[in-house]
Amino acid sequence: MASLTLKDIKKVYPNTESGPKKKKKKKVDEPEKEKANLQITDEGVVAVQQFSLDIADREFIVLVGPSGCGKSTTLRMIAGLEEISSGELYIGDRLVNEVAPKDRDIAMVFQSYALYPHMTVYDNMAFSLKLKKMPKDEIDKKVREAAEILDITQYLDRKPKALSGGQRQRVAIGRAIVRSPQVLLMDEPLSNLDAKLRNQMRAEIIKLRQKINTTFIYVTHDQTEAMTLGDRIVIMKDGFIQQIGTPQEVFNHPVNLFVAGFIGTPQMNFFEGSRLVEENGRYAVEVMDKKVVLSEGQQKALKAKGQKSCPVVVGVRPVHMTLDEGGFTGKIEVSEMMGSELHLHMDVQGADVVAIIPTVGIDLEAHSIGKTVRFSFKPELMHIFDVDTGKNLL
Amino acid sequence: MRKVKDGPAGEALAPDPASRKAKTRRMWRRLRENHPFLIMVLPAVLVVFLFNYLPIYGVLIAFQDFVPGDQIVGPYTHWIGFGNFKRFFTDVQFWPLMKNTFLLCIYGFIIGFPLPIIIALMLNAMKGKKAGKVLQTIFNGPHFISLVVLVGMLSLFFGTDGLVNNIIVALGGKPYSFLLESKAFRPLYILSSNWQDFGWSAIIYIAALSNVDPGQHEAAILDGASRFQRVLHVDLPAIMPMISVMLIMSIGGLMGVGYEKVLLMQNSGNNDVSQIIATYVYKLGLSNRDPQQGYAAAIGLFNSIINVVLLIIANTTSKKFSENSLW
Repeated sequence: MASLTLKDIKKVYPNTESGPKKKKKKKVDEPEKEKANLQITDEGVVAVQQFSLDIADREFIVLVGPSGCGKSTTLRMIAGLEEISSGELYIGDRLVNEVAPKDRDIAMVFQSYALYPHMTVYDNMAFSLKLKKMPKDEIDKKVREAAEILDITQYLDRKPKALSGGQRQRVAIGRAIVRSPQVLLMDEPLSNLDAKLRNQMRAEIIKLRQKINTTFIYVTHDQTEAMTLGDRIVIMKDGFIQQIGTPQEVFNHPVNLFVAGFIGTPQMNFFEGSRLVEENGRYAVEVMDKKVVLSEGQQKALKAKGQKSCPVVVGVRPVHMTLDEGGFTGKIEVSEMMGSELHLHMDVQGADVVAIIPTVGIDLEAHSIGKTVRFSFKPELMHIFDVDTGKNLL
Repeated sequence: MRKVKDGPAGEALAPDPASRKAKTRRMWRRLRENHPFLIMVLPAVLVVFLFNYLPIYGVLIAFQDFVPGDQIVGPYTHWIGFGNFKRFFTDVQFWPLMKNTFLLCIYGFIIGFPLPIIIALMLNAMKGKKAGKVLQTIFNGPHFISLVVLVGMLSLFFGTDGLVNNIIVALGGKPYSFLLESKAFRPLYILSSNWQDFGWSAIIYIAALSNVDPGQHEAAILDGASRFQRVLHVDLPAIMPMISVMLIMSIGGLMGVGYEKVLLMQNSGNNDVSQIIATYVYKLGLSNRDPQQGYAAAIGLFNSIINVVLLIIANTTSKKFSENSLW
């Protein structure tokens, strides 16, 4: 059980050594080339940069982001499987940049499970302990304890190929926890499972966390997993941290357009072509054909910044939409009955807007495909993003 | 007796003609659907049939007192049953031939079987992949040297006036007739064969190692395994199926060492250890002034039967103790 500190971690993959490359003369002030949104410099491809994070002891941190954002690379640098190009990594008080992976007292669960196919479940879990030359009876005790926690005692004599995906994942977790590591790293452990099993295993991981109480660092591209599992979420994009916060914080106060669109299902509705208007010290937003006066809290925040009128993108979460006869008009294109909720996909002046409406007391016929509805949202539930920088102005 | 199905009351039922017709229809449908693949494989099947199966007909001469020019099957064919085999078993050369063949094969196997595996594991474990590729190219080079050139090289290096003897003499020793001495024959043969083939034989293991999940290696690194331990616990088990198959095939060919190189290295000085079944068959059947092709064919057939028996034993044993077998 230990805290972790990552200070300005950077990872650069050097250019290949296949031969001298013809260097183009770089023009003055020419920006670094961006290919597939990653920076390509003279050193190479920058996969992760300016990554700084303090992880408390026994905290469950989730690194989330789209594919290629650098989350797995960061995890592998913590594990010691990738060299850190620059920056410092501390586990507890120990600087571990040059420390071998086996000496960092960490364990990792891989996306592909990485079980040893020729060994039984018991041997897979006992392998690391055997390498440490632990006494046999102690190994047996630890393996059985871990198997008990994960409910895999009955599979100890089987080989991985005789197990299902979920069982293999438990064995992979068991192999990690049997070592009682200070930090447990999990690299998209549920991504190879079907949806139902994923939900099940997510709950198992939450239960596991209660039982073993160690520091977790979990990588996923699934924002649902991030929101349900993490004490704090680190959202990454193109090698940079976008936002760090609790699930509630990132949901309620996304710092930019990317985080706002990434977190939350269905995705936040974005109303492009809106304008923040400041008149006599009062702020309002022109959204579609209406002017919405901001709440007092929002007024204060913008005034404090001295924000001027500017074009903006307004974001509202589908769950924050309400039916309102005096509101915006939309034509229903898709109506998804989810039981207690109705997901309405509407065409609102050419834009796709999604609203989540409770089904209690609602006329379903009046909210079917082709029908026109009117909706609105509370100003304090709006997010206002700068068009150029994408940053949240509030 | 034709197999019949049991009815609901346990009574015997005659095979249903309708189901047989359905089976035949299914068979023709599968043939029609797969006919492009059958056409593709047809030339290979024809070649194998023409050059491997059809000549088996000639094995009949092993049971004849055959003289070149005789018909293999005809009114004047002189059948002698197992006469040639009895002759071989009572031949004074029998035990020396068996011993020489067996020892040459078994020594070659003991050194030649694990060496490519070790080389493949080493090359795979090398940190510098470029260096590994360069080494692999160097190791593969000797494979392309012809046997005649190889034996010529052996003569140059190990002949009485060869490089090795020059070094021995320069160091104050006496020259040694490597090529004429019986004691030197087997080491020279086996070591030069392995030098020529170990790189090429390692390719199949290198290919198998390239399929090992890198995640297993990473998991082993985190578990605390050293490089050697990773080779032992990750790489070696991963190629074990391939090793099993190659082992079965090697055992099946244990008594089947070819005559060409032995013949090139054979001389009056080392004849007592270099005379093996294959060279004896060659001499008896082809190079003799009075070729005894029936007798030679019988000896060759006997050798082949031993190989088949060894192959069956190896395959059955492997199947019993592991999940790997040829069939």
